[in-house]
Amino acid sequence: MAKNISRRKFFGGAVAGGLAAATPSTIVAQTPAPRRVGLPDVWGQDFLYQWSPPENVKRDLTPGPGVIRLSNSQDITNKEGTDYDAMFKGMRAAGWTACEAASAAWLSRKLPDSEVSEIKAQLKAHDVVFYNIHCAGNIIAPDPQGQQWQRHIIDAVHAAEQMDLRMILTHTGSMYPNRNTAHPLNWSRQAWERSVNALKNICKSTAGSKIKVAIEPVNTEAINNPWAMKRLREDVGDERIMCGLDITNMVYAGTAFRMSELLNTTFELLEGMIAYIHAKDYVWDGMLPGLDWAMNGTGNMDYELFLAHISRIKDPIMYVEFLSTPEEYQQAQRNIRAIASKIGVKIHGTQA
Amino acid sequence: MKMQLAILGMMLLPTVALAAPDFAGSWLRDNAKSDPAPNTMYWMTRGATTMGGGRGNAQVILNIQQDAKALQVDDAQSAPRNYILDGKPHSRPTDTGIQKAEVTANLQTDALIIETTQPFGGMPGNATLTVKEVWSLSPDGKTLTVTATRDLPARQQTYKQVYIRTQPASAVLCSAGCVPAPK
Repeated sequence: MAKNISRRKFFGGAVAGGLAAATPSTIVAQTPAPRRVGLPDVWGQDFLYQWSPPENVKRDLTPGPGVIRLSNSQDITNKEGTDYDAMFKGMRAAGWTACEAASAAWLSRKLPDSEVSEIKAQLKAHDVVFYNIHCAGNIIAPDPQGQQWQRHIIDAVHAAEQMDLRMILTHTGSMYPNRNTAHPLNWSRQAWERSVNALKNICKSTAGSKIKVAIEPVNTEAINNPWAMKRLREDVGDERIMCGLDITNMVYAGTAFRMSELLNTTFELLEGMIAYIHAKDYVWDGMLPGLDWAMNGTGNMDYELFLAHISRIKDPIMYVEFLSTPEEYQQAQRNIRAIASKIGVKIHGTQA
Repeated sequence: MKMQLAILGMMLLPTVALAAPDFAGSWLRDNAKSDPAPNTMYWMTRGATTMGGGRGNAQVILNIQQDAKALQVDDAQSAPRNYILDGKPHSRPTDTGIQKAEVTANLQTDALIIETTQPFGGMPGNATLTVKEVWSLSPDGKTLTVTATRDLPARQQTYKQVYIRTQPASAVLCSAGCVPAPK
């Protein structure tokens, strides 16, 4: 008797049953269906978006051996006449033990060797780690801007070498000149290939350098999830391509309330390729799927699990950003330190 | 003498118990005398505003039912809140339904103290928030003042809400089997 069966059930059943008969149908069935990236289904996937978390999500809060250094977006400066002793002393006093520079300002002035030595000496004296040049720009912008920004990244790599940093950070960008504006074709094959080729060019032009080229996955760009980040590195074919992980930049309605799972998946997929981490938190607070940044530890981010994962990374650095006032930075740090303490994760230094 | 004092003490005990404040009734928030209610749901940054949370100057009416063992608070904007007045911690789901809050309500002779400990937004991994509310009545019983202190590692906030009684108890809460209140 003929029986109606859906394609999905048929293919699923065929794969599960390991059918091997050489009929045309089963040949198709043996070919794994393309897997869509994303979190697993929870319930009602044939009529509901999978936006609520499943019960009993695994939350392994076992701390790792890493002692997290906190950094913030009150970037260091290399303005002429800077008192580096006072600058790093102030950072330490406020509980910050790492720092990064903004590329446009940092590259705008060529530092004499004596000043480079002075900066390095003061960093060591105050036990502050200068680790990154945070790059502006858009390496896949329409040319000639795209090429100009690639040149900017290459210059940043050389500047990072001069200061013995571990990395530079950039985005892959947007097909519009402004990388923060989502272009409708940012997820097209064209944008992907443009991203890969831009990074290949940067890596080729800096061949031999040990500076990591960290890419920050962002919703508005082609690299907007951990799967894409991993694939990008494979396609560029250079181990210096790393992830500057800002989880909140990858959150959309489908993951807004499933952060524990997104954290587990991301840290598992990107193991060994996370250069450092941004510390932001967020809430979904509007009728449209509009997410807004919230004080660290008060929003949808599973901050306990987040810190536990970070502590398992070698020499972890966490960057606190997108706050408005010095007071907010101190408040964020207090929350982060309290949550870390609760689960036994160690944070370097102390906060006054 | 000691025996007399003991007897006197025993005689006073019911009086003390009876003197516990009775919050039952309907209460209208006096916006002029109240602090602006903070957004207890979200702590936004970067100057973002939100449609949830703070109530601004909206009219807020509390309907409270109370008996010797329990207190229930209803208002239009929140889920009903039920408190067991035994001074012991009780676990209940947060508003998100996916985390737990621990609530202790202690009815004293001059005030009701409610302490709640929970993840800030009711989401996994949030910083721990402790809220202490002190409920007290004016001597004539017509004004209710609720002073709340919200403690998060990042900051402490204290704010006061003042309510004017608009109606006496509209119904009796029967936490231990219903005994109609005397008219």
